[in-house]
Amino acid sequence: MKSYLYKCALITSFIAVLSLVNTSIAQETDASDYRMLFKFHTVKQSDNSRLLEVSFIGMNKKNKKDKLPVYDAEIKFFNRLDEQEVLLGASKTSKEGIAQLSFKEDHSFITDTDGTINFIARFEGTDGIDEQEEELRVKDLHLELNLKEVDSTRLVQVYAFTKDSLGNKNPVSETDVVISVGSMLAKMKLEESTIEDGTFEFEFPEGIPGDVDGNVSIYSIIEDHDDFGNVTKMKTINWGILNKQPKEHANMLWTHAAPLWMYIVLTIMLVGVWVNYVYTIFHLIKLKKEGDIINLETR
Amino acid sequence: MNVDIRKRELVHEFLSSLRKTSSLSTIWIGVLIAIILVGLTAFVLQFLKGHEITGMRDNVVWGIYIINFIFFVGISYSGAFISGILHFFNNPWKNSVSRIVEIMTVLSLVVGPIFILLCIGRLDRLHYLFLYPRIQSPITWDIIAIMTDLFGCFIYLYLTFIPDFAILRDHSDEQTPKWRKKIYKFLAINYHDTPSQHKRLHKIIGIMSTMIIAMAIVAYTVLAWIFSLTLQPGWNSTIFAPYFIIAGLYSGVGVIIISMYLIRKYLKLEQYIRKIHFIGAGIVLLILSLLFGYFTFAEYFSRWFSHSSGNHLLLETLFTKYFWEFILANYMGVLIPIFILSIKKLRTIKLITISAVIAVAGLWLNRYLIVIPTLETPFLPIQDTREEFIHYTATWVEWSLSLAGIAAFFLFFTLIMKFIPIIPISGIIKGEKMIENKKKGKKTIFE
Repeated sequence: MKSYLYKCALITSFIAVLSLVNTSIAQETDASDYRMLFKFHTVKQSDNSRLLEVSFIGMNKKNKKDKLPVYDAEIKFFNRLDEQEVLLGASKTSKEGIAQLSFKEDHSFITDTDGTINFIARFEGTDGIDEQEEELRVKDLHLELNLKEVDSTRLVQVYAFTKDSLGNKNPVSETDVVISVGSMLAKMKLEESTIEDGTFEFEFPEGIPGDVDGNVSIYSIIEDHDDFGNVTKMKTINWGILNKQPKEHANMLWTHAAPLWMYIVLTIMLVGVWVNYVYTIFHLIKLKKEGDIINLETR
Repeated sequence: MNVDIRKRELVHEFLSSLRKTSSLSTIWIGVLIAIILVGLTAFVLQFLKGHEITGMRDNVVWGIYIINFIFFVGISYSGAFISGILHFFNNPWKNSVSRIVEIMTVLSLVVGPIFILLCIGRLDRLHYLFLYPRIQSPITWDIIAIMTDLFGCFIYLYLTFIPDFAILRDHSDEQTPKWRKKIYKFLAINYHDTPSQHKRLHKIIGIMSTMIIAMAIVAYTVLAWIFSLTLQPGWNSTIFAPYFIIAGLYSGVGVIIISMYLIRKYLKLEQYIRKIHFIGAGIVLLILSLLFGYFTFAEYFSRWFSHSSGNHLLLETLFTKYFWEFILANYMGVLIPIFILSIKKLRTIKLITISAVIAVAGLWLNRYLIVIPTLETPFLPIQDTREEFIHYTATWVEWSLSLAGIAAFFLFFTLIMKFIPIIPISGIIKGEKMIENKKKGKKTIFE
């Protein structure tokens, strides 16, 4: 009975989302018109915690632009080794169709002999929506980010390695890494390169804007790697510059004083014109005087 | 050619027409005075009751008064510009046009600023403009520029009149009233056209020509900046100053052609104002119409292409509420003169004058479309207010005062023509001397 009610709630919420988004076709829409996109990925975050994330979206079979998130669907996450499955936890999808589960740095996952962790995300299905499952295999990559200033040169150093069962560090190679800085809305990419022999070094450019104290967040990111998934490391350092807000111009039409150059230039122009007027009047007077002399001579 | 005899002949010819008062001219002056009196009544009402009796309200604070101001001042500046340029030509044909242009320049600069006074809600505080001027305000500079320009134009007009005053003083016949002779004598300032006086006068006219050209450009630029230094859609434009100058020249040449036509027809001056003058002025009008059309296109195209919502709202208003005005001002007012004037066979006196009338009317409407629709489409939407507070319609008071201004312009023009020949006598003699010398094969040093 409980399961039945749960299924009803799930379908109802899905249809409710459909009807809210596109009321005009609400009467004709049902889940069978949608193909389910079930995407699973993992991110090893800056604090070494691991995030498991599922994106559960319904895409209209006829109109691919019509995408609706599947809301309130329970996703179960497992750690598998051979036939053994350990339930890590469950999470319900948000209104955006995202379900997440986070594990602290000290959480130990079951790994195979290579050190590979096998994750499974599973949606058990309802009457309207089929079961969904996706598997992910990642190795636990350790990413270190060092920020150094050597002879006035600011260096960003990245070390990447895995550990074997004995705890020995094995440097990784041919792994793409992106160096970014955090900005207001997104991360700004500074460099994209490849880690060789476990290291990558990058000279931090000057003039990167920071916050009011000049602090800037530097990220080293490995994205969608076949072996390691997503790994991010972030550190904040006082290497940025503060872009001061532009000051209001001192002189405007509505301010109390006009700019000095305006007084000078316009006064020169006006005086120039009026001097010519005075000069003209002066000549007119002379013209009249000349005429007076002619009149006297004529008389 | 005996210069003295020729001067006497010309004085006789012109003075008789100056003294003669036909019934037509009496009616003409009577009608003009009547229009001015109606305008004065409207002014008294406006002064007593305030702007409440005009169409101007909180949003549309400028109406047809400011349009008339820009229009008249534009004519004046273009007149000053053309007059200054004409001075530097040694061609005798300029003589037939020069005085018309000079009078037009001064009169429109006298009439135009009166309209700006009518825009002031509290005329009793007018002196505050001089007592508490804000030196950084374009309006203060406009007042200074207009006054400087007016003074300069008066001096220039007077300088060009001096040789004729001297001729009229020396060659007036017995029938000329004494008061008229006295005024001619006073204004002639003992000018006898001696080589030294001639040289001196020509020198200062040259200086003043340069001055009034410069002042015309400066003053009309400042006037354009009153609009373009604001952020209002339709006004905030970098090309407004040259656009205003071209528009002013366009309307100015139009008014010159219309004046030439009326003066030629009613004063029977066909032998002085000939077809060649109309064709010359028509070609200038054609060039200016092309330039004005280009500037208008550039102005509206950049507004249309911009992503500013204010500009889009303004253009929507122009193409809906003001559709016909927009078509008449910016299409008909440009394309019809271009069509008529670019075809050689159509360049007749009447058709050139019709083109000029269309150009002038189009220009006035263009000014209307610059001022009113912008004020009717402010950045912030106007809510909970009466319809007449948002939209502008000129009242009879404004129309009466506008017509009174036009009537005053024509009345002053008529009165000046009653006092001094509209074709400079000194210019005619110079022209005839030049032709005579040319026939004899002598080189003429014209000035």
